[in-house]
Amino acid sequence: MLLDYDRLGLLKWPLVVICVLVSLFLLLPIVFIAALSFGDSQWLQFPPPGWTLRWYDELFHDSGWVEAFLTSTKIALIVTVLSVVLGLMASLALHKGKFPGKKLLQALFLTPMVLPVVVLAVALYALFLKFNLTGSMLGYVIGHLIIALPFSIITISNSLETFEFALEDAAMICGATPLQVKLKVTIPAIKLGIFAAAIFSFLISWDEVVLSIFMATPGMQTLPVRIWGAMRQDLSPVIAAASTLLIGFTIILMLLAKMVRKGK
Amino acid sequence: MSADSLLASATAPVPKPKSTRWKGFHYLIPILLLLGLFFVIPVLGLLLRSVLEPSLGLENYKELFGSLTYAKVFYNTFLVATVVTLVTILFGFPVAWLMSMMPARWSALVFGILILSMWTNLLARTYAWMVLLQQTGFINRILMSIGIIDEPLQLVNNLIGVTIGMTYIMLPFLIMPLHSTFKSIDPSVLRAAAVCGASRWQAFWKILLPLALPGLASGGLMVFVMSLGYFVTPSLLGGTSNMMLAELIAQLVQSLLNWGLAGAAAMVLLVITLGLYAVQLHYFGRDKHGHN
Repeated sequence: MLLDYDRLGLLKWPLVVICVLVSLFLLLPIVFIAALSFGDSQWLQFPPPGWTLRWYDELFHDSGWVEAFLTSTKIALIVTVLSVVLGLMASLALHKGKFPGKKLLQALFLTPMVLPVVVLAVALYALFLKFNLTGSMLGYVIGHLIIALPFSIITISNSLETFEFALEDAAMICGATPLQVKLKVTIPAIKLGIFAAAIFSFLISWDEVVLSIFMATPGMQTLPVRIWGAMRQDLSPVIAAASTLLIGFTIILMLLAKMVRKGK
Repeated sequence: MSADSLLASATAPVPKPKSTRWKGFHYLIPILLLLGLFFVIPVLGLLLRSVLEPSLGLENYKELFGSLTYAKVFYNTFLVATVVTLVTILFGFPVAWLMSMMPARWSALVFGILILSMWTNLLARTYAWMVLLQQTGFINRILMSIGIIDEPLQLVNNLIGVTIGMTYIMLPFLIMPLHSTFKSIDPSVLRAAAVCGASRWQAFWKILLPLALPGLASGGLMVFVMSLGYFVTPSLLGGTSNMMLAELIAQLVQSLLNWGLAGAAAMVLLVITLGLYAVQLHYFGRDKHGHN
């Protein structure tokens, strides 16, 4: 009765109302930002009095924003590759390897996920100041990679759970070298997990704010850092346009991930 | 396993691993180097600075716990985390409950909205709330036009703004695990209760709530812990006079260059966070929805 939708009786309506309100609450900022970015009100009136592409035009003609966009993309792509490769190696070792302290290592690999990011950011900042790595591509990549790796390991490990490792031995018997086995047997079998790990890693790097604020110098900023800086000055609709692009990119990647999962 | 080893020993060209005790360990060398150099050492280094700088001793901790300014920061942090957790539970519980029984099409829709909001860039969401909650913003204008208030409310640059923004971020983190808890409850238990003459009220308090409690406690604890360490939303929606712990750490480092005190504050945040996660792991096992 309390878990049966059709027999809830009057209780159904307060629950439905709360659910609708929460859903609207969750949707409101997203719709709002997209509307503002196309609205022609400088003072962020909502609903906008008219529509315009002016803010996008300003965005694309400002070399600072364009550069930040390219920097973000470059960093995210490098992080994606490294996170998948290192994550795959770690997952394979954790699944198939035999060595002491496995549980402990597994816990270590997942710690960056639960640690408050600000602690990691400040710690890396201290290190990077010493070695002059702030504002460098390497600095950003290292920071993003550390927080992307746990997601990569979790996703790839999950797909390894159903992989039959005997297949690897079978391929070896048929004369394949260890590298061939990995490339032609193991990786194709878990390619969905690897793809999901890639998308997660990209999005984590692409959206990362806290680490990036500490890594940033005026000469090298990612898109979120630039948005952060702009937000502290004013709430111009150009920020809404940049945010909408970030959201649009995220949605495209999420849909892509969903399509691949369905198409298997 | 025995079949594998039999096959392996039956054929010659299979290379034997050099040492079976460390089999596969070499795959971990790159990630161990990365995490060792850029995670373990820097974090431990930061924590060490709390007892080494400016001089050896516990001075930094004395300052952190002895001053009224920092007491206010701790108060803000715990107040916001507590209120956010309670509000999230209050609204998340009914949603997760209803989602577990509504027709699949509808629950898929709500699920999509949760995922979308979760993966929308944090800054984008916070920007939206800054604009929405302004004095002349959408929320104030709506409230005034339907006559609930006469003058615009101060909704941003204070802890109310932080609480709204953080609740927004945390709702999916409570709803998703709680939803799977509800899904795992066998509806026939509740039918049995009804057959035995339990009223709805009794069935809710004596059966449904106790069965959902592990998911609720686990999700609530996660929301609380995550809220304690948040940086972006509090610093943008909270204004300068309502600092929280993560902002304090950042400010100590960036503007005051007081690394010792920052290390102490980081240590406090870390001990509380990892301590509460340990509690969660101990009581509720591994949570698959753990997410940053």
